[in-house]
Amino acid sequence: MLEALLPEALLPEVIRQNLPFLLAGLAMTVRLAAIGIVGGTLLGLLVGVIRYARVPVLSPLAALYVEIVRGTPLLVVLFICYFAIPALLGYRTSAVNAAALGFVLFIAAYLAEDVRSGLRSVPPGLARAGLATGLSTVQVFRLIVLPQALRRIIPPVFSQYVRLFKFTSVASVIGVRELTGSALLVNAREFQPVVILATVALTYLVLCSTLSLVGRLLYARLSVRT
Amino acid sequence: MSETPLIVLDRVCKQYGTTPVLRDCSLTVARGEIVVVCGPSGSGKSTLIKCINGLEPYQSGSVRFDGEEVGARTTDLPRLRSRIGMVFQSFELYPHMTALRNVMLAQVHALKRPRAEARARSLDLLARVGLADRAEAYPADLSGGQQQRVAIARALALDPIAMLFDEPTSALDPEMINEVLDVMTGLARDGMTMVVVTHEMGFARKVANRVVFMDEGRIVEDRPSEAFFGAPVTERARVFLSKIIAH
Repeated sequence: MLEALLPEALLPEVIRQNLPFLLAGLAMTVRLAAIGIVGGTLLGLLVGVIRYARVPVLSPLAALYVEIVRGTPLLVVLFICYFAIPALLGYRTSAVNAAALGFVLFIAAYLAEDVRSGLRSVPPGLARAGLATGLSTVQVFRLIVLPQALRRIIPPVFSQYVRLFKFTSVASVIGVRELTGSALLVNAREFQPVVILATVALTYLVLCSTLSLVGRLLYARLSVRT
Repeated sequence: MSETPLIVLDRVCKQYGTTPVLRDCSLTVARGEIVVVCGPSGSGKSTLIKCINGLEPYQSGSVRFDGEEVGARTTDLPRLRSRIGMVFQSFELYPHMTALRNVMLAQVHALKRPRAEARARSLDLLARVGLADRAEAYPADLSGGQQQRVAIARALALDPIAMLFDEPTSALDPEMINEVLDVMTGLARDGMTMVVVTHEMGFARKVANRVVFMDEGRIVEDRPSEAFFGAPVTERARVFLSKIIAH
């Protein structure tokens, strides 16, 4: 499918010859990013809401998680997910699964903070107005506070998504053959670093720009007008 | 009065930390009565009316609405609140919803009215406050006066038996005040029980049965409006009145 989108004749020789391999890498990058975005968003929402609502016991644990992850380099998080957690809990994992877990845990910590600050930014008077009309606390949260918070945090959330998309390249260090890892393998054989790395960089650029464009369009459509 | 009063506050006290906000406030509002609460800022007017629908907790005393103790742990607050409409100084319309959906929301989710019925009722109410043509507008596209009228429609949508107004015209430009006061006067004429915190003394004089004057968390005067405007008993109320009527 991806092949069809490319004007193959325009590609440099070395890319064309290794195209299926590189495209498989790209597919892995997209897959890791998608898992990270979906899983990270769900976990980030959960953690952010727990922090916002100051749920007893869970809230301090959530805060600890956010602090630990935000104070740890991504590469270390991936190593922990690949080596330490499986050793600790006694299960075997693949590099791909470990990377996917690492990206979810990593990006969720940042997204949780965006969710929390978004929720805090909704004026409390609106929640009070909702309560005054007989809505329950949970209904007020679900119908009034959360929808506005989510609209407000579209820009920071999409910039986290873009960061994550680029961060997937770090998975190559634990042996995942995503775009960067595949390109490095091709380069090891062909040794054409300029062409290969320029192609890789351009691919990231195009995809990241598309992702942030989606975010901007979504924000323009949904943003709360004040 | 033959009937039991709708709203009874009995020696309500509230403090934030050590700062008293309400001191021994007692107030009775009969069905169909219109009571205006006035007084200098910080005197506890807003806090007082928010005790009636349980938006403000209080430390001692009792608040009863239609015979039900608002502060009791067993009270179903959402159900009680759905019988009391409230209008706020800064409108508090939900900015991500159209005027129509603002008015529909609690009907659908608190009263569990079918959507079609809630929609029809909302359109009726928007027409009643003169905004039939702005149903699909978002709050940001409405003037302050229009927003406040939508907020009144939103409160009325629950078929409340009483309405609380917390400085409903204080955030409005002068030329928009009257469109809101007109709606409120219409409500009063239809027999709605109303407690109104306001500095609109013209409205108080014309519409209110009683005026309550507060100062430093205390109710210092509570008298029929003609008597209050004729000659306030307390010096504090006299000074206040002369100041706000002087300009």
